[in-house]
Amino acid sequence: MASAKLTKRIAVALIAALTVLAGCGTNSTGSQSGGDSGSGSQSSAQTATPQPTAAPAASGGKNIPDGPEGKYDPPIHVTSVRGVTPGIEYLPDQTIENNVWTREFESELGIKLDYEWVVYNDQYNNKINVTMVSGDMPDFFLVNMQQFQTLAQAGQLADLTDLFEKYASPLVKEIFAENNAIRYKAGTVNGRLLGLAYNGGSLDDAHLLYIREDWMKKLGRTAPRTIDELVDLAIAFAKEDPDSNGIDDTYGLLINKELFGGFASIDGFVNGFGGYAYNPAGGSGTNLIFLKDQNGQAIWGDVQPEVKQALGKLAEMFKAGAIHPEFSVMDASRAAEMLTSHKVGMTFGAFWVPTWPINNMHNENPEVDWDVYEIPTLTGEPGVVQSMGGTPNSFIVVPKSSEHPEAIIKILNYSTERISGSKKDVGKYHTMTVDGKDYGIHMLTPYYVATSEKNQNYHYQVLEAFKMGDPSGLDEEGRLYYDQLVAFAEGDRSQWVHHKLWNEGGVFEKLGRYKREGRILQSAYTGAPTPTMLSRGTALRDLQVRTFTEIIMGSKPLDAFDEFVQQWYDQGGRDILEEVNASGQVQ
Amino acid sequence: MTRKSWKLEIPLHIMILPGLVFVLIFSYGPMVGISIAFQHFMLGKGMFGSEWVGLDNFKYVYSLPDTFRVIRNTVVISVMKIAAGLIAPIVTALLLNEVRLRLFKRTVQTMIYLPHFLSWVILSGILMEVLSPTTGIVNDLLARLGFERIFFLGRKEWFPVVMVVTDVWKEFGFNTIVYLAALSGINPVLYEAAVVDGANRWKQTIHVTLPGMAPIIVLLATLSLGNVLNAGFDQIFNLYSPSVYETGDILDTYVYRLGLTNGQFGVATAVGLFKSVISLVLISLSYFLAYRFANYRIF
Repeated sequence: MASAKLTKRIAVALIAALTVLAGCGTNSTGSQSGGDSGSGSQSSAQTATPQPTAAPAASGGKNIPDGPEGKYDPPIHVTSVRGVTPGIEYLPDQTIENNVWTREFESELGIKLDYEWVVYNDQYNNKINVTMVSGDMPDFFLVNMQQFQTLAQAGQLADLTDLFEKYASPLVKEIFAENNAIRYKAGTVNGRLLGLAYNGGSLDDAHLLYIREDWMKKLGRTAPRTIDELVDLAIAFAKEDPDSNGIDDTYGLLINKELFGGFASIDGFVNGFGGYAYNPAGGSGTNLIFLKDQNGQAIWGDVQPEVKQALGKLAEMFKAGAIHPEFSVMDASRAAEMLTSHKVGMTFGAFWVPTWPINNMHNENPEVDWDVYEIPTLTGEPGVVQSMGGTPNSFIVVPKSSEHPEAIIKILNYSTERISGSKKDVGKYHTMTVDGKDYGIHMLTPYYVATSEKNQNYHYQVLEAFKMGDPSGLDEEGRLYYDQLVAFAEGDRSQWVHHKLWNEGGVFEKLGRYKREGRILQSAYTGAPTPTMLSRGTALRDLQVRTFTEIIMGSKPLDAFDEFVQQWYDQGGRDILEEVNASGQVQ
Repeated sequence: MTRKSWKLEIPLHIMILPGLVFVLIFSYGPMVGISIAFQHFMLGKGMFGSEWVGLDNFKYVYSLPDTFRVIRNTVVISVMKIAAGLIAPIVTALLLNEVRLRLFKRTVQTMIYLPHFLSWVILSGILMEVLSPTTGIVNDLLARLGFERIFFLGRKEWFPVVMVVTDVWKEFGFNTIVYLAALSGINPVLYEAAVVDGANRWKQTIHVTLPGMAPIIVLLATLSLGNVLNAGFDQIFNLYSPSVYETGDILDTYVYRLGLTNGQFGVATAVGLFKSVISLVLISLSYFLAYRFANYRIF
């Protein structure tokens, strides 16, 4: 009896399971074929009508409110996806999905914004690739240059030319027109605006050298001006027990396994030799720096003899124990831990290093202090640093399938106006300070733009006002930075970050000097990744990082570099250079 | 009679249905995607709109200088894993089988089974700490014993070894249980007869226990052969770094970097198809061998 009941129950359960599975099946195949037929009909629509945006614009046409910030009535529903910084901290009542921006988009613009998924930035690239392949794309999303090219070639992107003209606010248009309209041009394919540049125009990523000031003082040393002094100091940090704990557990210079990037990387060090090398992990071998030879032909920075020289010096430092023996397995976040656990005395990095990872070190222990220096060079003369930030390399795109392609432009208008425009409210939209802790509200909006020299200009204004003790000439955001400087001067250690950013001897003073003296070098090639970069980039990057790592660790002799150069040319490098030189985009 | 047995079997057929549907949806359905391997796959044009390029994707992979090194690494690591992964649990099961104290046996069984439930993401973090040459406990021990410190995860000669050892450590508890189950199925009468014939424990193991386990050993070995080209993506992806690519980079991690991060889906699918074909051949071959030499049939 009992077993009969059981069988019955199992049968019911099985049937239930079957229905669910069958449901799954129809669902998944349904959406897939739906996506395919959708794109199919779109491409046929494209061939039929010369104006690709006609269809979506018409369907939403009745409903688009005029003006940069006109409100949709009835409200519309817009989806996107999002990558966030791993260390991001939210106010109690704000999340990435629900914050002052999303609430106001809904109440003021009539746009209800939903994220289909949110991941950390390091996973974003892969996740968005999969999303793009699935064909089920959100209404707008962020892509890198290569993905932008792919989508544009596949005819997947909505034409934003007219929409931008019609709906973008004057401020947004002004920013897009800056620097020879580099933002607008970078997003334009065959004369049509298909992507909105997310970054670009900025040189702020040029490398600086960060040094543990307290360790340097303790060892009675001064900041290095030449590479030799840098090596000396690094070895001293490793060998002379700067933390006085009696254990040999400190290192001189921090490097992580990806070798290139904005932090714990070798870019700035190589620049000190007059070499220019760049091939970051996220770029999959397509984000490269090119130089020009005497004949005006593009050459690749990473294979030049100066780079070899720099690697030789790094190998020397590694052998002397000045570089962590495990750097080759350390990713950036583990490298950051080395800094915050007081194990390393120096790192090269971009202007944001004081905001992460060393932001809290001084606050936690007032004796700890980091200082910022220009890169040391071979001769001690001022060095020329590289910057890859000038050309935009990420874009906000809108797929043709979006019913409201203009919604992102409204979001852009709204956010830009409130972060750097006339409706600016720093405490509400930019940075909110609660219990002495700063929360970056501006990072919560999906998209805003700012003039590229914004931070640099604030540095000059704020520093001037701070020296005079008179903030009256500052606008609201400047006033915020001014107050932060004053607070630090009065002993509020939690404002150390701002002291390092804006004050004398801080990062923007050094960057300003690089810029004024024309000591920033940008890639000679400004175009999109070439076909060979796409097909060979990953393999070539593997080869490069492997060889460089082995040279630094001493498991291969320095002359392995020459072999690498030869292999690079043979395995696609020659084609890449040909394509770059033939592109007509070498400046 | 047949009618009656058919009726009796109906619940059994219903029970197999969900499995069948599952296989159809998740194993046979996606096979349509194999066509991507022969296309220059373009986003948006999709599987049905992309340009057909014949074997170009395969030629491209063939032309890459690292491909053969990667295949060699894959085979070396997975063959070592398969061999060690067979021997370790068999030996453990035999030893545990001889243990009289039930409490001890159960405790050991549970303890060695536990790592099976941990994901490689977590384990990789732990292993990096444990194996660190500067602060790791393993190297502290080595140093205390007078050996040199070894950079297990950063030296290319050590990396594959670490992969095999850690993988076996993680999984052997699970397989031990399978073998223990096989052991409990051996008829005690056989042991009694062996004792009557004057066999000691060792002889009993050789002549009764091992032959009793043979079918399950052959079965697991045969099934694992199909995995020769799966050297463990989760594990290696979380532990490797450029300095050990030479010996540690396997097909899956290679394709991940090549295909997924660069959006070359045609290439990734081509390698996937290549893997499947090789696996099919190997499984067929090992099945044939098992039938021929162990007279064992799965079907």
